[in-house]
Amino acid sequence: MASEWAVTASGLMKKFGQRRVVEGVDLMVPRGAIYGVLGPNGAGKTTTLRMLLGIIEPDAGTRTVLGHASPREASDRIGYLPEERGLYPAMKARDAIAFLGALRGLDRKTGRVRAAELMEQAGLGHAIDEKIRKLSKGMAQLVQLLGSVVHQPDLLVLDEPFSGLDPVNQEKLEALILAERDRGATVLFSTHIMSHAERVCDRLAIIAGGKRRFEGTVDDARGMLPQRVLYTPRDAGEAVALALPADAVRDGNQWRFELPAGGIEPLLATLIDGGHGIQGLSIERPGLHEAFVRIVGRDAVDDDATTLEQAA
Amino acid sequence: MSSQLKRSIRQTLTIARRDFIATVFTPIFLLFLFAPLIMGSFGAIGGLGAASVADGASDKTRIVAILPRDLAPAMTTADTRLRAAFRRDEAPPTLTVIEPGIEPGIAPGTDPKTDPAVVAARQADAQFARHDLEASAVLYGPLDAPTILYGARGSRAADYLALVAGDALAAQRLGSDMPRVVATKRQVVRDTPSASGQHQSAFFAVFGIFFLTLFLSGQVVGTMAEERNNKVIEVLAAAVPLESVFLGKLVGMFGVAVLFVGFWGTVVGQIGALLPPGAAAALAEIVPAVGLPTFVILFGAYFTMAYLLLGSVFLGVGAQASTMREIQMLSLPITIIQVAMFGLATAAASHPGTWLATVAEVFPLSSPFAMAGHAANSPGLWPHVAALAWQLLWVTIFISVGARLFRRGVLQSGSARPFWRRRARHAKAN
Repeated sequence: MASEWAVTASGLMKKFGQRRVVEGVDLMVPRGAIYGVLGPNGAGKTTTLRMLLGIIEPDAGTRTVLGHASPREASDRIGYLPEERGLYPAMKARDAIAFLGALRGLDRKTGRVRAAELMEQAGLGHAIDEKIRKLSKGMAQLVQLLGSVVHQPDLLVLDEPFSGLDPVNQEKLEALILAERDRGATVLFSTHIMSHAERVCDRLAIIAGGKRRFEGTVDDARGMLPQRVLYTPRDAGEAVALALPADAVRDGNQWRFELPAGGIEPLLATLIDGGHGIQGLSIERPGLHEAFVRIVGRDAVDDDATTLEQAA
Repeated sequence: MSSQLKRSIRQTLTIARRDFIATVFTPIFLLFLFAPLIMGSFGAIGGLGAASVADGASDKTRIVAILPRDLAPAMTTADTRLRAAFRRDEAPPTLTVIEPGIEPGIAPGTDPKTDPAVVAARQADAQFARHDLEASAVLYGPLDAPTILYGARGSRAADYLALVAGDALAAQRLGSDMPRVVATKRQVVRDTPSASGQHQSAFFAVFGIFFLTLFLSGQVVGTMAEERNNKVIEVLAAAVPLESVFLGKLVGMFGVAVLFVGFWGTVVGQIGALLPPGAAAALAEIVPAVGLPTFVILFGAYFTMAYLLLGSVFLGVGAQASTMREIQMLSLPITIIQVAMFGLATAAASHPGTWLATVAEVFPLSSPFAMAGHAANSPGLWPHVAALAWQLLWVTIFISVGARLFRRGVLQSGSARPFWRRRARHAKAN
């Protein structure tokens, strides 16, 4: 009987020279789920994925992929889009997809037929016989992505799949990830863009400094932070601050503060009794981004932002 | 066959097919395929130029005999008879017979210099100063004790002149009694290989494999650079074991080499069919000890192994290079290695059975060359089975080591820095 886990990792460690890149990461990726590995730049996401795929060997720890202790044994059932995209520039798009499928055991004829179908579905039908060097970067990236799913893998591993794509193609990619999940595949992807993870992930792990800091659902992550109240009084005076919790922060006419431990009702009564009135009130759950910042730490996120700015 | 092995073979062939197609279906490949023709054309043009210069010089070169008029016919006849033994390009210079003269401006009997012998010597010396011809050797004096002067590179011409003089003297003295030999010539085809034929075939085998691998195996060195530069290597490494990637690239490029050899083999075979009977008979003398059909098979096998051995080493080293400049820098050491292996194997082929031959046959990189020579010199077949297995083992070792170095060096850190730079950096840091 197949395990309920598509991927497991226990205590994965990796050192490059004297630098510890991954320090004891544990992962449990359920079959048929979309699983996000989140973390700032340099957190060890790519190294972790490469160890799971058997591209590099861990210094310590164990992993299983689709029930195999050696990822190589399952390589024909895995699709992979690396962070550093790469295709042969002189190859035609359809041949490139078929070639990537052939590496994973798909016969060339079937690969070419499926490549054409996938390209049509992805809106790239006009580029089927174009050489890779003539495609835009985004199109080439989509072609490579199609190459990673052409053999209909049981596990799809995508390393920073959204980077380099325009918003339209990002939407297409999200749709493709959901379609792969619906087909029955497990999707494991890394990203540091929270909005995508928030929309598509069933479960996620947050890695920072080579260590896993969180594992659970998106709601679990968001639930780590208290809910937030946005309150706008009828009067614009400062006196209302005396009735609000100590952490209340004013932003124009609006006040923000964490939902009090006793709930909102006692506070509402106090505000009404105090004559401040209620012009607007909403209770929000914090986004994944805030949860991520809380889990990873502001410094790591700032470093990440600086790196992104430098890269830009 | 296990599913693991089947998968490895399939993956290897997928990589090989991609590399073969990517190499062959390009305009550059035509240039590569016809490179020998271009090289041969330049060689022929150079050869024609050199030949015309040489012909111009040889047209004026002469051997000269200073003889009384009555001896001239005998000398000319003897020259004609003896010259028939030489091939055209090996024949001595044309014979010119001139009469002994009197030194101009000196009356006979008034000066010791008018002594005929002295005058003949002066006349002979003067031949080397003439501008209308270039004397190679000059004979003067009586035919039974002539004096022969010769210039630089004229020693053999002088020997020939002495032979002609002797023959002419014998003809003059014996007249019609001069014995004439009428020989019956019959060409013999050997049943068994001659020692010289075996040595020649050994040299041809060693040189042939060297020549082919020199041209073809060096191409492998830069093939991994394509994957590194295009960043395709990450996809390949995730899907296929690096050993299969390396072997696939090697097999793909070997396919290109086989295509090249097949094309030119066919061309040379057709030209060979047009050879004159004499040349064909001469080639027939070059018979290897194992017999021609077996030798052809072994030649093919050893060419394959030489290509795979050298190719796997070059591929492993080249995979560490990240730029074209680094790859170009590798071409010199690669050529040196190939020439060194050729030298070792040639020495082994010339001295079969010696310790040098054994070293060349055992050392992996020279083994295919030396064993091809061995096949020409020795009829035993079992050493070839052992040698091929031994060489195959080393191909496996070289590919494994190359893949391991690549995995540990290039993939492990994600760095494009080759291992020798990392070593140097590490040493510097310490």
